Amino acid sequence: MNIKMRKVSFKFPAYLLILMSLIGFTLLSSANDWKPNVIYVGIGFLGLFLLVYSILVICNMGDKFLVLVAFMLMTIGVLMICRLDIVMGARQIVWIGIGAIVFFFTYCVFYKIRFWNRLWMVYALGGITLFLLTLIFGKTVNGSRNWIDIGVIDFQPAEITKILYIMFLACKYSGSFNKNFFKVSPMLMTGAVTYLYILFLVFQRDWGTILVIFLIYIFMVYVYEKDKRFLWLNIIAAGIVGILGYFFLYHIQVRVGVWLNPWEDVSNKGYQIAQSLFAIASGGYFGRGLGNGSPHYIPEVHTDFIFSAICEEMGVFGGAAIIILYFLFAYRCFKITLNTQNLYNKAVGLGLTLMFSIQTFIIIGGVIKFIPLTGITLPFVSYGGTSIVVSFASLGIMQAISALETRKGGETVDE
Amino acid sequence: MNNKKIIRVLVIISALFLALLSYLMYFNMFKAESVATNPYNRRQWDDEKYVTRGTIYDSNGLVLAETVEGEDGSSIRKYSQGRIYSHVIGYCSQVYGKSLLERAYDSELLGKGDIDIFQGDKKKGFDLNLTIDNTLQKFAYQKMNGRRGALVAIEPSTGRVLSMVSLPDFDPNAKNLERAWNDIVEDEDSPLIARSIQGLYPPGSTYKIVTLAAAYENGMQEKIFEDIGKFKVGNVTVENYNGKKYGQISLERSFAVSSNQVFCSIGYDLGADSVEEMASRFGIEEDVMFDLEIAKSRIEYKKMTDTDAALVSIGQGQLLTTPMQMALICSAVANKGNLMRPYLVDSITKNNIIIKDTSPKILCRAISAECADYIQQQMIEVVKNGTGKRAGISGITVAGKTGTAENERDKDHSWFVGYAPAENPQIAVAIILENDGRSGGDSAAPIAGSVMNKYLSLIK
Repeated sequence: MNIKMRKVSFKFPAYLLILMSLIGFTLLSSANDWKPNVIYVGIGFLGLFLLVYSILVICNMGDKFLVLVAFMLMTIGVLMICRLDIVMGARQIVWIGIGAIVFFFTYCVFYKIRFWNRLWMVYALGGITLFLLTLIFGKTVNGSRNWIDIGVIDFQPAEITKILYIMFLACKYSGSFNKNFFKVSPMLMTGAVTYLYILFLVFQRDWGTILVIFLIYIFMVYVYEKDKRFLWLNIIAAGIVGILGYFFLYHIQVRVGVWLNPWEDVSNKGYQIAQSLFAIASGGYFGRGLGNGSPHYIPEVHTDFIFSAICEEMGVFGGAAIIILYFLFAYRCFKITLNTQNLYNKAVGLGLTLMFSIQTFIIIGGVIKFIPLTGITLPFVSYGGTSIVVSFASLGIMQAISALETRKGGETVDE
Repeated sequence: MNNKKIIRVLVIISALFLALLSYLMYFNMFKAESVATNPYNRRQWDDEKYVTRGTIYDSNGLVLAETVEGEDGSSIRKYSQGRIYSHVIGYCSQVYGKSLLERAYDSELLGKGDIDIFQGDKKKGFDLNLTIDNTLQKFAYQKMNGRRGALVAIEPSTGRVLSMVSLPDFDPNAKNLERAWNDIVEDEDSPLIARSIQGLYPPGSTYKIVTLAAAYENGMQEKIFEDIGKFKVGNVTVENYNGKKYGQISLERSFAVSSNQVFCSIGYDLGADSVEEMASRFGIEEDVMFDLEIAKSRIEYKKMTDTDAALVSIGQGQLLTTPMQMALICSAVANKGNLMRPYLVDSITKNNIIIKDTSPKILCRAISAECADYIQQQMIEVVKNGTGKRAGISGITVAGKTGTAENERDKDHSWFVGYAPAENPQIAVAIILENDGRSGGDSAAPIAGSVMNKYLSLIK
């Protein structure tokens, strides 16, 4: 049974990814002039993939598609980062390597330990501690005070907070956190923690993360809370706060103004979004070709705006492919969540799924001017240690959830 | 139970992703072109580093615009004829972007889609060969003598644009343009507008050509009109030019003397629908395809009444046309009722090998040959014995129509449209002199006459 299954799952999509990497990296290394370093990065990347995927298949660690799709996204991301700056590309490979270790580590930890659902206070306090640390030791990058510099590396605690927050919410919605805490009901407690987090994030001016946290919360409330009024109360309250924010916070006014008409002040406030739109528009349907574009005109191109650079050089169809990959990823996550019987795991799964989907929607929607732009990374594609490692950690948890479910009955589900 | 709600969440998320995809495609289909050509998009100049912009020639192979290498190795766009083509070729500035032909044919001038591989040396873009004859263009430019207005000359049988002048103009040389930009933009006379194709004016009596066509089709040729010098319906009163009264008058004669009263009453009797229908057959309210963007000539009523139709019939009211449109109307009459698609770029070449060739195309059939013939007779009469005498050329039959258009702001515009020779039309001209104050027959007609005469002597 097992052996047969392995053959099947190693079949088609894995080769697709290998092919994609081979073509991509060869093309990039030979485009314009010969760049052997790109080949080394490519080999490193493929090696990592094969290692991770083999372990996954041999140890039968649940769903195979998640990792595959994540690596496909990473292929495009690494290619683009290498094209922008080969040194960054090499560093990204190192981060992916570390990410892979974190992936297996979180997988094992989440798989083995079964009392996660009782630690709600740990998550809540952990998140708050991280916020306090950021406020005290944080430094400001691009207007958002959300980085901590620990010796050699910088990291964004907010990324970790998102996972802690999801675990916290899951405690409540799996029913494990069901006793009043000092006369405060769990429902109000989760609400209070959510808005406390959002308040911290307002101080950090990290609007993107605020949106992600708030939307996760709203969707969770929608799915789990029986009281419809509570959902509407939250939405209306957020609406009022949003409108007040618009009138009293200059930052939000600027963002909305620039979203409505970036052309009014192209050289100043509208600069970022205008550069992003120029890139996408210049790429057309099939792009200007890998290495032929001018992505360096776009600010923050290797992190927040990497999607615009991909659209410029690989075309709108390339961009559409990315969106479809993310959708496949989200769909797969939803499927795992739906199949999960364990209530806590189900809630965590839903939270992580929402995190991926919403984050992707917010940043892609932002750079194509579909919604106001809020700086946030594109999971698996953007350059950056924290983003990659945290994405891998969430992937590890998702993987563990799927493995727990498929192994429970001794039967392996695989499509 | 929760699964049901989770599936609903999945549906919402799917909708969000679908919205992203749709918006991305929508952006690329409808917005991308204008965004990509925004002057702030530095990418537009990336190509210029590797490509020498193509040359633009007149119909005889004279260089009008070319890119040469400056002393410091930078590319300089040179316009050999200076301002004369500022409203045909336009400008090409790193700071303010590109306009007119430089913009419309940007990708051709940069040789996009050229499969030749050049190693080392710079690639050369495609060249444009215009239909304009530089000698005529220069002559027309001089005849306009710096007066505010526009002149368009077309070959009626093909739609080739022979000359296109718009004044005031500007120096298209990038350095001078950048230096003078603020003055140009703030100038009340808007020198950046290509009046020939983007200026919208009331056409005045020149529009009676269209009304005459409608009168002919409704069998009014034999009708005798009573001209009391004044057309009055409701609160609208229109007087004849200089308050003249013609008494008993035929349709032909009222066209030759340009009786406002008669043409108003024709428009009023025909009614709004009929007037509107004839206008659209001559391309008004229609998009006319051209190498450059033409402002749409239009009748700006939400719901046109018969009284409005009376005003439109003499080229007033809410009717606005471009000089190009009037030239097209005139050349449709000259071309037996066939309205040809106008064009400015004759061919696109590379090293004298033709890459793309423009062939004449009928845009629409405005009127029948008989009707065109009838109008021609009346237009000949206008130049022979009517208001357009000063457009006459000795030994050549000229057909034409004058116009003096009232406008809200200032003195009257003076208009003339016409073509020659009537038996075998070679050139059709439309001229407007903005706020000239004099009648079209006095100021615009002589220019038209000499420009047509010049062209006929050139092609002899």
